[in-house]
Amino acid sequence: MAAGGTGGRTYSFKVVLLGEGCVGKTSLVLRYCENKFNDKHITTLQASFLTKKLNITGKRVNLAIWDTAGQERFHALGPIYYRDSNGAVLVYDITDEDSFQKVKNWVKELRKMLGNEICLCIVGNKIDLDKDRHVSVEEAESYAESVGAKHYHTSAKLNKGIEELFLDLCKRMMETAQAEERLKGNGASQSASSRRGVQIVDDEPQATPAGGCCSSG
Amino acid sequence: MSQRTERRGIHVDQSDLLCKKGCGYYGNAAWQGLCSKCWREEYQRVRQKQIQDDWALAEKLQREEEAAYASSHGAQTHPQSAAPAPQPQGAPGHASLGPFSKFEEKKTNEKTRKVTTVKKFFSPSSRTAPKKETQEGKTPSPSISRHASFDTDQVSKDFVEFLKNLQKPGREIHKQCRTFIMNMSSKKDLGADELSECVQDFYQNMADRLMSHFKGSSESVEQVMDQVEKYIMSRLYKSVFCPETTDDEKKDLATQKRIRALHWVTIQMLCVSMDEEIPEVSENVVKAITDIIEIDSKRVPRDKLRCITSCSKNIFSAIRITKNEPASADDFLPALIYIVLKANPPRLQSNIQYITRFCNPSRLMTGEDGYYFTNLCCAAAFIEKLDAQSLNLSPEEFERYMSGQASPRFNSSEVDWPQTGPAPGVAPANPVLAQLNHNLELLSGLSSRQETLMEAAQSLQADLLSWPEGVQREVQDILEKYPLEILPRTASAIDANNIDNDNLPPPLTPQVFAG
Repeated sequence: MAAGGTGGRTYSFKVVLLGEGCVGKTSLVLRYCENKFNDKHITTLQASFLTKKLNITGKRVNLAIWDTAGQERFHALGPIYYRDSNGAVLVYDITDEDSFQKVKNWVKELRKMLGNEICLCIVGNKIDLDKDRHVSVEEAESYAESVGAKHYHTSAKLNKGIEELFLDLCKRMMETAQAEERLKGNGASQSASSRRGVQIVDDEPQATPAGGCCSSG
Repeated sequence: MSQRTERRGIHVDQSDLLCKKGCGYYGNAAWQGLCSKCWREEYQRVRQKQIQDDWALAEKLQREEEAAYASSHGAQTHPQSAAPAPQPQGAPGHASLGPFSKFEEKKTNEKTRKVTTVKKFFSPSSRTAPKKETQEGKTPSPSISRHASFDTDQVSKDFVEFLKNLQKPGREIHKQCRTFIMNMSSKKDLGADELSECVQDFYQNMADRLMSHFKGSSESVEQVMDQVEKYIMSRLYKSVFCPETTDDEKKDLATQKRIRALHWVTIQMLCVSMDEEIPEVSENVVKAITDIIEIDSKRVPRDKLRCITSCSKNIFSAIRITKNEPASADDFLPALIYIVLKANPPRLQSNIQYITRFCNPSRLMTGEDGYYFTNLCCAAAFIEKLDAQSLNLSPEEFERYMSGQASPRFNSSEVDWPQTGPAPGVAPANPVLAQLNHNLELLSGLSSRQETLMEAAQSLQADLLSWPEGVQREVQDILEKYPLEILPRTASAIDANNIDNDNLPPPLTPQVFAG
């Protein structure tokens, strides 16, 4: 059901926002959903769970964006957040080398746990502070390519690159969902048995990060 | 993608998943690592015997009871097949498989204790005295069961009412739900995960069928699914919430103990951005705590989720008031952890497990409720693993606080709460205490002001009483000083009183003489 696409035209996607605290995850998503930045008049009570309805090439898409707590001590809780998500937006601050390193860790973990089912976006935020850039464009882009993720440059402050980021992500998630549906159709597997199959795949990798998190966190 | 993964534990090793007997099937922790088949083979006999024993015991008790009080409560004590059980029926439910765990021992102890207390009522030689006693002991149970069945009746009525609008498919849905509940009642011996599987398969089938019926209108499907969930889960609640086939209750107790041991954790250690000094914030915090405790009182998974959502909303308001900007997950999760620690919600693990097992998956996976529920799971996981590092403490400090040798409230009080009350003897780390002191000060100030007011009022009264006397005296004085004098009439007055003055000669006019 999380994969969306049930019964035809409406897709429901779950996207998690990952990244260190202070890289601007919240600003990014508030800019996208409310088109506001650092605004004292933001009406929404919270910016941790936001939804957006889109229409992409005639198909309806319901996007649910899950913000996650970025503090290091909550790193171990990642798997609870990102299970069953269709996409992940990994945000770093271009003026902060460390935050890029954190993104690399997240990528490794996500690929290990969820394989290629999840669409990854690596996002260098705060490009309005380009003069203080500490993560080079080439490095970031080549890294993203090497792990099968797309790289974007955004600025929540200037409202740059954010629409494109989410639109691209949605298109990719739709492709993945369609491919999955085709596969299901060919395999003619019943929902119950396919669920069973996924369970085991899901369980297997979950053992590793718990240990990994404890040692890193 | 799977709906089921949600309920998996965080760390499960591949090898742990296989049946311990090596039959190649997957095992389950609830069955001591065996697969369902091996488990059944292994423990069927033990269980069967225990069930029989319990039944025998229950029947014996009931016969005794009936024989003794046939006249007064014959009808009441007969077990009804559908009504949730009064005591004798409850006993076989307790009979379960794990006679090996301590937990089970505890249960059995409880059972025997119950039995002995019941026996005690029968043992005294005089028949009349204990009769009254038993009656008193008995009264709550029928009333509770009647109340419970009243609730479920209400739910059924609502359900039928709702389905009437759907006409023919509605009848079909009702039939299917009823059959399903009947089937489930024969499966009581299954493990919690298998029960969950049955319920989830039922949801899935129902949703698929509804989807084709409503031609893809997911809102209508969701509406019906909510009602279906409400109906079947309020029926099944008793048998599937915190079942004895799992160690849910053990986990509940562990969590509860853990939270109690962490009572010293302060809002500063968790870096929560809520300032409880602000009255609205502390009001929201109290509401959030009430909501999270409320979870346990609901039966339907969706109602439980609603409590979590309402709790989250209150937390968001509190953060919003404190920070004056919308709460991000960075703010929300620590705040939720703080609320869980403060509330120590009853049967937290059981409730989490129940929701993951029996909630309609579409709600749990994508919706807002699902997000808050996930955060609650995170909070529970965090509390379980919480250590010195996650609170930015040194391991030694953490140990000292855990063992109760030191309390952080007194150490950090002066640094963290410089703004609280001037009284140095008070532990200002507790904002409630500070508030209390503040209120006390206000009250004493008020009472002293009232005293002065009373004094002033009394003196005013005395003044008022003495004032007329004073005035009278003064008047007297003046009267004495200036006695009343009656003056003779003036000349003009004579004329004025004269009515016939036309007849008088004109008054003399002065004449000027030359001279």
